[in-house]
Amino acid sequence: MAGLLLAVLMVLPGCGSSFPADPEGTLERVRGGTVRVGASMNGDWVRINASDSGRLSSNDVQGTEAELVKDFADRLGAEIEWVAGTEQVLADELKHGGLDLVIGGLDDKTPWVTHAGMTRPYAESQDGRGSVHKHVMLVPLGENAFLLELDKYLMEVKAGQ
Amino acid sequence: MTDLRSGGTVQFGHTELPAEQRDALRKAVRLEWATMGFLAVTTTLVFLVLGNSQAMKAAWIEDLLSFLPPISFLIAARIIRKPPSEDHPYGYHRSTGVAHLVAAVALTVMGGYLLVESGLGLLKAEHPTIGGIELFGSTIWLGWLMMGVMLLTAAPPVFLGRAKMKLAEKLHDKVLYADADMNKADWMTAVAAVAGVGGIGLGLWWADYAAALLISASILHDGFKNTRAAVSALMDKRAMTYDDGEPHPLGRQVDTYLRGLDWAADAKSRIRDEGHVFHIESFVVPAGGTVPALEQLEAARKDCVAMDWKVQDMVIIPVAELPSEFLPGPTSGGEH
Repeated sequence: MAGLLLAVLMVLPGCGSSFPADPEGTLERVRGGTVRVGASMNGDWVRINASDSGRLSSNDVQGTEAELVKDFADRLGAEIEWVAGTEQVLADELKHGGLDLVIGGLDDKTPWVTHAGMTRPYAESQDGRGSVHKHVMLVPLGENAFLLELDKYLMEVKAGQ
Repeated sequence: MTDLRSGGTVQFGHTELPAEQRDALRKAVRLEWATMGFLAVTTTLVFLVLGNSQAMKAAWIEDLLSFLPPISFLIAARIIRKPPSEDHPYGYHRSTGVAHLVAAVALTVMGGYLLVESGLGLLKAEHPTIGGIELFGSTIWLGWLMMGVMLLTAAPPVFLGRAKMKLAEKLHDKVLYADADMNKADWMTAVAAVAGVGGIGLGLWWADYAAALLISASILHDGFKNTRAAVSALMDKRAMTYDDGEPHPLGRQVDTYLRGLDWAADAKSRIRDEGHVFHIESFVVPAGGTVPALEQLEAARKDCVAMDWKVQDMVIIPVAELPSEFLPGPTSGGEH
């Protein structure tokens, strides 16, 4: 067991920026490529205008979370491929590797933790009943480099507010 | 625990502890409180950084379970002092064994549960997700904190375990022994958890489950070992040394002494370990079939009691021949 630890520690310096690494290589694939984002309509967080062609362009998806994702994709030099759907459809796609990111005004009590990983809460809102919601986005399970990159971005945004 | 600090006599039932054992007991109680204090800190720290790592969860549950032996010891250390009563003619020594069994069963159940859970996680290939955490204004990977906390908590139990082990021998206390034994191996849990989280960092999602399986297996192993020891002690297995390594030498010592008496032709004892103290029934065949004088019997008993503080509750029974139905094996100290 000590040997395993030693092996881990010895490999660490060689990894450089890719620690933590993604088992499926999401961050590497997305950087300078395409990030597949699932969007589920939810108030001011995500608004979707239906387009005639059936394909969504970045102008079709609006809202505070959509803007954050666009900015994040810019930082990665990535194009966004938008997919609209219900939370269930999107969570399922995320689980099976069909999406890289899901937004929809979700909070940290989302039941989709069985299908997806959560970012840290980056914003709070209060509903009509006075309950506080801590807002998160969903990423594929275990893609920790991608998640950390997104967490860092969201924390910067939160600090800037 | 006031009577411990006063420096007066300390009794296990009606057995008065010699100074060495009294000191050992006092130290053991202090060490067990220190262990609980340490555990309170580590379980809190580990809980704060738990995240989604199965290995961290297993290590945390092991830390929680580590509360059981010290609690058992401290409770038992109070109860065994009660003198024997009308309702409990043999005293309360067995409370140690009961406490041991309860702790051991808890270990077994939790170890088994974690083993199944970690195995299922591995089969379902649920990739553990660990993201960032804000620390002093910057966002770092939570895995670093996990590994840091685990390394921080690795060493102290080893020292506690070593110290307790010495006291367990002096006190002939099997709960204390089991606790010390687990503490001594605790660093391996920490290292396994670090390796698991480090593996996640390298993109080897399965490393987390492998580490969790290893930790669960060690909990389960402790559970089985302790359940077996506790059950066999409660089943009146012959008295063994504090680590169950070999038959306790007192048995042979008592038999050899009794056989050496000028009025005795043969002698054999059966001993049960009540937890700390022994109950001894010695069957002695008088030489030439003459019943020994009361003074001779009384002197023999006194000498045996003087051999060791654990011997107090002892009866000597003169018999015409050794009752084979009560005694195991043809020779002293052995079921051959």
